Amino acid sequence: MYNIIGEAGRVAYGDLCFLRRHLLETIISSMVGPLLYLIAFAYGMRSGDTEAGVSYVAYAIPGIVAMSSMTAGFTSTAQKIMIQRLFHSSFDEMVLCPMHTSSIVLGKSVIGMLKGLMGSMILLVLGLFLTPDLMMSPQLVLCVIFSCLMFSMLGVSAGLLARSSATLNVFNSLVILPMTFLCGTIFSVSALPSIVGDIVWLLPLTHSSEVIRAAALGWDTPWVSLLVMLVYFAFFYAMDWWIIRRKLY
Amino acid sequence: MQDIKSLEPKVVIQCEGLCKDFGSFRAVDNVDLCIRKGEIFGFLGPNGAGKTTTVRMLTTMERPSSGKVWIDGYDTDTQYLLARRNLGIIQQQNSLDKDISVRENIMHHALMQGMSLKDAREEMKGLCATMELTDRMDDLVENLSGGWKKRVSIVCSMIHHPDVLFLDEPTTGLDTQSRNLLWKMIRALNRQGTTIFLTTHYIYEAEALCDRIGMIDHGRIIAGGTPQELIDMFGRVVMIRTDDYDDQTVTFFPDRKTAMAAAGEYAGGFNTVIRKATLEDVYLRLTGGMS
Repeated sequence: MYNIIGEAGRVAYGDLCFLRRHLLETIISSMVGPLLYLIAFAYGMRSGDTEAGVSYVAYAIPGIVAMSSMTAGFTSTAQKIMIQRLFHSSFDEMVLCPMHTSSIVLGKSVIGMLKGLMGSMILLVLGLFLTPDLMMSPQLVLCVIFSCLMFSMLGVSAGLLARSSATLNVFNSLVILPMTFLCGTIFSVSALPSIVGDIVWLLPLTHSSEVIRAAALGWDTPWVSLLVMLVYFAFFYAMDWWIIRRKLY
Repeated sequence: MQDIKSLEPKVVIQCEGLCKDFGSFRAVDNVDLCIRKGEIFGFLGPNGAGKTTTVRMLTTMERPSSGKVWIDGYDTDTQYLLARRNLGIIQQQNSLDKDISVRENIMHHALMQGMSLKDAREEMKGLCATMELTDRMDDLVENLSGGWKKRVSIVCSMIHHPDVLFLDEPTTGLDTQSRNLLWKMIRALNRQGTTIFLTTHYIYEAEALCDRIGMIDHGRIIAGGTPQELIDMFGRVVMIRTDDYDDQTVTFFPDRKTAMAAAGEYAGGFNTVIRKATLEDVYLRLTGGMS
């Protein structure tokens, strides 16, 4: 068994240097969207409401955290890989190094995971001051990390397949944006028509929202959702691995 | 499939029947190469001939449609990680991460090659001094000119002391100073035992640097040998006749005497020059750039 974590760290070094140089911009950009969702939905449209037995603010914050883990994790990884592959050609150089494919997949997911984690954690800490229903726990942090990593791995595939930034925008509009609103982030999936609800249940963000919400509100762990997330994680990892091996060696 | 052990030990780059198809277009067609340790091998061909695609397959960046490649005896299909340990490449386009500094780029390359931080720092110091990069270490790569970026690429490709270095049109777009520095560096590396695979479309570059040259056109190898063997291929002397419309006809002859005799047989109306054949004459004849 080779040292996959060590190799992944070597792969991630360049992206971490970039993140260190742009830390403040990263924090600001990863916070603005989720904060606007929080203000618009939790304080604007449904102020004072309750949902599933807790205040709407407490219900919405974990969903927005899940949403943030997806958008930041996916977008930053996909964009970074696409730029390195199409414009800088530095991705080819990396593939040429004696690194295992698994290390490349994991290493390239690190930047998305960290960006998603930063935005999500800031939002969760803010949530602790806004509502007493939320609780911080190691389980919650692990769920957020897992969610960020999962969507970051989806970003690796998108970055590897994108032929231009326009292709990535199309993927964003057709896959990421609908998930943002429909997957139980700011309202329950049960409010949707049953056929739409069934489709939405198949999407990864629905389960990410469920798992993060349960951990944040102290509810029982939704094991089925956790299992679905694991399946998606394995699928995204296998897809990344296959694309790199198939396309680039 | 060929047994690795049966390969000549000094052969460091070998390919057999290498082909690459993009849809119905065959970019590389049945290329066989055999390059020995310590050689500077020039891969000469016009734009779009298949040079870069061949290099990408030899360096494991592109999967061949068919054919086999061995680097230092390692099959790049099944032993690609071992093959990559012996490789360095300077790509046609600078392949650096432009959002980070020179130092960070070099360190990233060193780490990905499996070097320790201490070794990477030591090697970086020496190589950057040679390439006169010491004062630019903290500059962002995006702020560097093309020549400086090329120098950084050279350091990145050399930091792990590869046995085989691929240079894909390395002097394209460089000023004379940078080109001379690069040539000097290539010769110095070769003296230290590094095998160099150089693609170029500059004939003078191939002639100046290479021990052997392979010519490629339309994806096929059309000639190969030392520069002198190639020059002697069609005859040591050429007669160039230029008509009133500046159209040239070039004819090869085995020696000056035969060429002079042939020149005497032609009627007037042509400006005739007889001189030694050059690699450029052979190249143009082979690639169809000569009547």
